[in-house]
Amino acid sequence: MKKKKVLVIDDERGFTKMVKLNLEASGDYEVKIQNNSLDALQTAIEFQPDVILLDVIMPDLEGPDVVYQIKNNEVLKNTPVIFITANITREEVEAQEGYIGGHAFLAKPGSIDELIACIEKQIKSHP
Amino acid sequence: MKSQFGKKLKVLLVENNLVDRKVIIKMLSTSPYGHFDPKFASSLVEAFELLPKHKFDVVLLDLNVDDSKGLETLKKFHRRFPHLPVVVNTGSYQDDLGLKAITKGAQDYLIKGMYKSYSLVKSLYYAVERKRVEEELKNAYNKLQQTQIQLIQAEKMNVIGGLASGVAHEVKNPLATILYGVEYLENSLKTSDEKIVLTLDSIQEAAKSANNIIKGLLDFASLTNLKKTPENINTLIDQAIHLTRPQCERVSVHLEKNLQNDLPLIKIDRNRIQQVIVDLIVNAIYAMNNGGRLMIRTYGKKFSDQDVGWIDRRGRSFGQGDDVVVVDFEDTGPGIKDEYLIKIFDPFFTTRRAAGGIGLGLSIARTIMNSHGGIISLHNKTGGGARARLIFKANKKEPV
Ligand SMILES: Nc1ncnc2c1ncn2[C@@H]1O[C@H](COP(=O)(O)OP(=O)(O)OP(=O)(O)O)[C@@H](O)[C@H]1O
Ligand SMILES: [Mg+2]
Repeated sequence: MKKKKVLVIDDERGFTKMVKLNLEASGDYEVKIQNNSLDALQTAIEFQPDVILLDVIMPDLEGPDVVYQIKNNEVLKNTPVIFITANITREEVEAQEGYIGGHAFLAKPGSIDELIACIEKQIKSHP
Repeated sequence: MKSQFGKKLKVLLVENNLVDRKVIIKMLSTSPYGHFDPKFASSLVEAFELLPKHKFDVVLLDLNVDDSKGLETLKKFHRRFPHLPVVVNTGSYQDDLGLKAITKGAQDYLIKGMYKSYSLVKSLYYAVERKRVEEELKNAYNKLQQTQIQLIQAEKMNVIGGLASGVAHEVKNPLATILYGVEYLENSLKTSDEKIVLTLDSIQEAAKSANNIIKGLLDFASLTNLKKTPENINTLIDQAIHLTRPQCERVSVHLEKNLQNDLPLIKIDRNRIQQVIVDLIVNAIYAMNNGGRLMIRTYGKKFSDQDVGWIDRRGRSFGQGDDVVVVDFEDTGPGIKDEYLIKIFDPFFTTRRAAGGIGLGLSIARTIMNSHGGIISLHNKTGGGARARLIFKANKKEPV
């Protein structure tokens, strides 16, 4: 089976590395990291991910700006985005049933199982 | 003749010298300037007996009486009756003793043989007036101090609130990294080496507990936008009991409730108040980890200052006689040590550090109650155990 491609855009280097390690260990994913949000769009165009994990607060360009770029790009506009952020708590996410402003959200810190479940759900709903 | 100074003064003359007594009586009774109703005592003991029985306006105090000498006399007097105006009447020609008396709480002093009727009368009226002003000042000062305490408290909350969201973000990111890292190691090592398993578990626990602290801080921060709706507190209590039932059963705490049926509604953010109720129940359970009884009671009443101590009364939105809803949580645990009573509401004060207590439960509960204009207090019951009390302003009854 072809591996699913996941792009992680987050300025927390340690965190992105751990996401990559964990997801790749499962054998189902190929993960690319971008720690600089200014280069996020370019990396996404080249990598053509199946799903994008995106931090909300980053220096230079914030998560919502990156989403705007992606949604306005012909190639990427249907790629699902999952916000993954320390700004909200798991309870708040659950209270909103996982979606805030139409986007899937995950709270930091969380578990890998949660992350994988969310990725799978997003990929399925965006064929 | 009409008094120059207005009202008639009830004077207690503490004086053991009969000659001096006569002199004073003469001056007072013949003075055209004032009206007096004098009584005598020749010792402090006698004075202390008379004082509670009559409503004296002022005391003329000889410092050397049968059972006490010098400034000691004034100190003893002032300790027992701090609110009574005193004019010291010294026998000796000692101005410095008189001046010292002023610093020890006397309103004025006279030196025997050195004054005439007018000075005596003036001095007595002056003492009464001066004492009144002093007391007013003292009250104003106390009020100011209380306000300052509130301000400091409010400021603390603001600082914590502001810091919280910033810190939360900065700390949760590394925590996320740590937790993902641990998960990776757990999955990829698949080891049965107990020491490694233990290490990984400990790291995970530590990171999770750090995350809980952050969550507590955020609770402070997010108290600004409360969603208040009219609720029946009994419903919330039933839910909270349901939530904490398993924990109760584990340590054999017997939970009883006595909820008044037709309680008025209260306007609250139900999630926040739910949190307060659960925190108080959990505290009681922790206090009774060898079993015990927790009684939760709700009732409506008219608020009285006697319901809580003054320190707990700050910031409330109701006053004496207003309709309130009270929730009492009474446990049969060990209660709270006296020296801890003033600290239990401080952020991070806990006696359960070793067992994982963070010490935010009560301080958050107080912040929540304050932001509802309500009161939370925690005291020892006479006869043992602790009583936590919540008081809410009752909603006005809707006209049907
Ligand atoms: N019902 C009670 N009986 C005896 N002591 C109590 C009771 N409730 C609270 N305390 C004391 O007050 C302290 C502070 O309580 P608080 O709820 O703020 O923190 P905690 O319970 O220690 O930790 P946390 O609630 O953050 O997990 C407790 O550690 C305990 O010493
Ligand atoms: Mg607690």
